[in-house]
Amino acid sequence: MFAYEKRLQFPIKIKNTNPNIAKLIISQYGGPDGELSASMRYLAQRYSMPYKKVGGLLTDIGVEELNHMEMICAMVYQLTRDLTEEQVKTAGFDAYYIDHTKGLFPQAAAGVPFTSLEFQSKGDALTDLYEDLAAEQKARTVYDNLLRVIDDPDVCAPLKFLRAREIVHFQRFGEALEMTKDKLNEHNYYFINPSFDQK
Amino acid sequence: MSTTCECETKPTLAMATIPKQKWCEPYDLCTALSEGTIFPSLNLTFFKAPQGDTNLTCYYESASKDQQEREKALSKITEVSFALNDLTLYLDTHPTCESGLTLFHTLMEERLTLLADYAKNYYPLTQASMITGDCNPNHYGWGEGPAPWEGACI
Repeated sequence: MFAYEKRLQFPIKIKNTNPNIAKLIISQYGGPDGELSASMRYLAQRYSMPYKKVGGLLTDIGVEELNHMEMICAMVYQLTRDLTEEQVKTAGFDAYYIDHTKGLFPQAAAGVPFTSLEFQSKGDALTDLYEDLAAEQKARTVYDNLLRVIDDPDVCAPLKFLRAREIVHFQRFGEALEMTKDKLNEHNYYFINPSFDQK
Repeated sequence: MSTTCECETKPTLAMATIPKQKWCEPYDLCTALSEGTIFPSLNLTFFKAPQGDTNLTCYYESASKDQQEREKALSKITEVSFALNDLTLYLDTHPTCESGLTLFHTLMEERLTLLADYAKNYYPLTQASMITGDCNPNHYGWGEGPAPWEGACI
């Protein structure tokens, strides 16, 4: 079960309203490589993961991704909480505003709403771990892109933090892959699907 | 800064291999939070990311003295708790690393004390700290304090 702790994993304290940045950052809430799909992906995959230690890692990383989702939402909220009517019209936030006012809604930067297709769960230990390694790289790329186009230091500090976490998670999934390989036949790792053929 | 390979499986065709991380001396807790990892060997930077430590304590110079004190206490909890988060993932794949285990226990004890103090002096961040912080049993304090997403700028 999950229990709430009343603080963010990393402090979010943004002084300046900026709906343009909010519109970009929201992609890491509801976009294809966002924190919501990351969290749901890992928490879904753990049930069919045949090795307990790997399931435990998926749980711990999945929970951390929930913390990251909360940080991203706090950033979008703080970037738009003092939004004026004039800013709504001029700062590229108008389309979002029409549908959601200042409410948080998971969508990609281009406006595509969140879809569960974005969290892959294939029921094969090796396939799922490769998916997770790729997912961390995709999220890292998005943070690189955000850091390229955003200058506000209040926003860049948490983005830098979140980017670093993707790299750490990549390493841990790599180690989980090695732990999984240890259990398989090294002459043909693909001989069975350990999530299905052997309990 | 080395990530020497000590993998137990041999590299093979059509299968990715990631070297297992070796323990390295962690950053101090403040730098670790700012960099996003306690491990210097895993800190693979990006040229556009802000360099050096960021002052994460209090961005609001206008904040009252009380609020600044509270934010300092919260920052300490954030730093210690983050180091524990990173260490947890490390221990998930290195469960027998003595250096990791020792640091985990030291930091966890510190975290519990900090949470209890915070509940006693300000408001509870966790329900358990309502007890460990000796909060008034006749007062339901769980709803107190700013919402975390407000950035404590109240």
